[in-house]
Amino acid sequence: MTAFGNLVHDSYVTQAWAPDWRPLGPWPESACCRLDAFPCEPSVLAELILSPDEQAHWRSMRAVEKRRHEWLLGRCVAKQAVRSLLARNLDLRLLPTEIEIVPDPYGRPLVSIAPETTPLRSWPGSGLGTFRAATVRERLQPSLSIAHSDGTAVALAVLDPGVRVGIDLESLTHHRQDFEAIAFSPDERRLLATLSMDRRQEWALRMWCAKEAVGKALGRGLSAGLLAFHIARADVASGMMEVGLRDGALDQFPQRRNRSLIVYTARESNFVFSATIYLQGAVRMRPSRREILDYLLQKMGELTADWDYPDPVRPESLLFTELGFESLDAVVLCTAIQEHYQTPMPFAELLAEIGQQQRDLSIKELADFVDTHLGGPAETGGATRRVQ
Amino acid sequence: MPNMTESEVFDKFAQIVAKSLRIDASQIAPATHLTDLGAESLDLIEITMETETQFHIFLPDKSILETAVEVFGPGILEKDGYLTEEGKRLLLRRVPETDAQAFEGEVAVKDLQHYFLRVGTWVRMIQGLAQYTPGECQACGGAMVPSMGFRMKCGKCGQEITLRSGEELNREWVREYYDKEYHPQTEAPVSATAVQ
Repeated sequence: MTAFGNLVHDSYVTQAWAPDWRPLGPWPESACCRLDAFPCEPSVLAELILSPDEQAHWRSMRAVEKRRHEWLLGRCVAKQAVRSLLARNLDLRLLPTEIEIVPDPYGRPLVSIAPETTPLRSWPGSGLGTFRAATVRERLQPSLSIAHSDGTAVALAVLDPGVRVGIDLESLTHHRQDFEAIAFSPDERRLLATLSMDRRQEWALRMWCAKEAVGKALGRGLSAGLLAFHIARADVASGMMEVGLRDGALDQFPQRRNRSLIVYTARESNFVFSATIYLQGAVRMRPSRREILDYLLQKMGELTADWDYPDPVRPESLLFTELGFESLDAVVLCTAIQEHYQTPMPFAELLAEIGQQQRDLSIKELADFVDTHLGGPAETGGATRRVQ
Repeated sequence: MPNMTESEVFDKFAQIVAKSLRIDASQIAPATHLTDLGAESLDLIEITMETETQFHIFLPDKSILETAVEVFGPGILEKDGYLTEEGKRLLLRRVPETDAQAFEGEVAVKDLQHYFLRVGTWVRMIQGLAQYTPGECQACGGAMVPSMGFRMKCGKCGQEITLRSGEELNREWVREYYDKEYHPQTEAPVSATAVQ
């Protein structure tokens, strides 16, 4: 029964799942979890991981067992993804019961951290953990997406508030009746016919999953109609698909006119899955290095307005030794930068490198880093991926 | 098949659902929700296609709310994910089996799925649409058989008719409702009052 102790504390009953996101380019800090079977009796799992409100919902669900079980598996992977994201990036260790998944009015799952959170083991007695939990609750709302099919559940969580994610999963085990006539337009069916002769069902499901992932990332599902999400291109080698919005979907998201989303699809054993990230906000113009530095100085001025420095903040000022930054301050700053530029950047690697080399970072260096990662060529190495 | 009774439609639809979800038809009642039976998005597509084939109808591609929002424009029926009073009024008219009490207070868009995916709602929708699918040819009385696309053809004299799609009928209903029953409150022009 020691397994249960682990289950509640740091354990990761779910498998950490590491799809290869490389084709999507720079990928923000994310955590992905997958579960193919119940680690224990479902009712026991419900007691262990659900908050009181969620338990009440679980008990009142009138659905068939399959549905109730998938809901529970979904909660389990979602909580685990959020926990491992927060533990890895902020050293904030929460209980599954302290993370509530509450759908917004359109059904998108939102992460809610319980108000009376007492993080496990982090900074005993310092109150810092509680402070960090509050910061996550109020400022760093992670984006989350959950999918389940045929007894398997997956979840993907990303820390950047400016980024939205969508994930979907479909099983290939039972042969679907031909759903192409409803799910795809004539153009899409023509595209499908060019993709694969012998694995048509798989590619049809990949295209379907791509639509679902886009609907989830945007937050309104496929409510605008299945054909309002149009697969314009698909690349068999990489699994990448380009999905554009039409008709009702454009009414919902007028800012996405002529701006398609890139979705990554793949097959793993008997499942097809898809994932996409979506940067909120307007089209970005590439700023000059001078503009980046000005923005950083101005942002620093805002963040440290009441910190009483003897000297004004200069490009040469060092964040940690001179300006008294702590790691959370750095995370808040980095998050603000990514949000401002609507671009995920590998800040975690930068901060980890600085920690290892025991050196400091000047605002000027930070500006150079941002300059390098803004609209530059796509990173292909492991630098931006920390999916474990 | 315009003359099917509600219980005939129900029985036939329950068979379709049971087969697609691999469950026993006895688990299905008019008040049951398809998602509670374990239906996922692709199952719903499968059920939709099978229903269309068996009843010779075309179910709407999107919910009545989506169609109505396209006619009304944004912010009138739904705002920030919640139904407005205007939106509740429209839906209660179009989906009358909805419990009016459940529409008191805040109604989130995500919770509407609960009503749209009720078996009884589908049965009523199927029955409504089936009225537009003739059982026999109006010209010669021969049996109608499915033809290409949205069409049916008389097996005897070959006369073709075009079926009405659920989407089109929903849109027509919404347009009529908009013209006859929607009375936006006319507000005093803002600029005029602001100047004074």
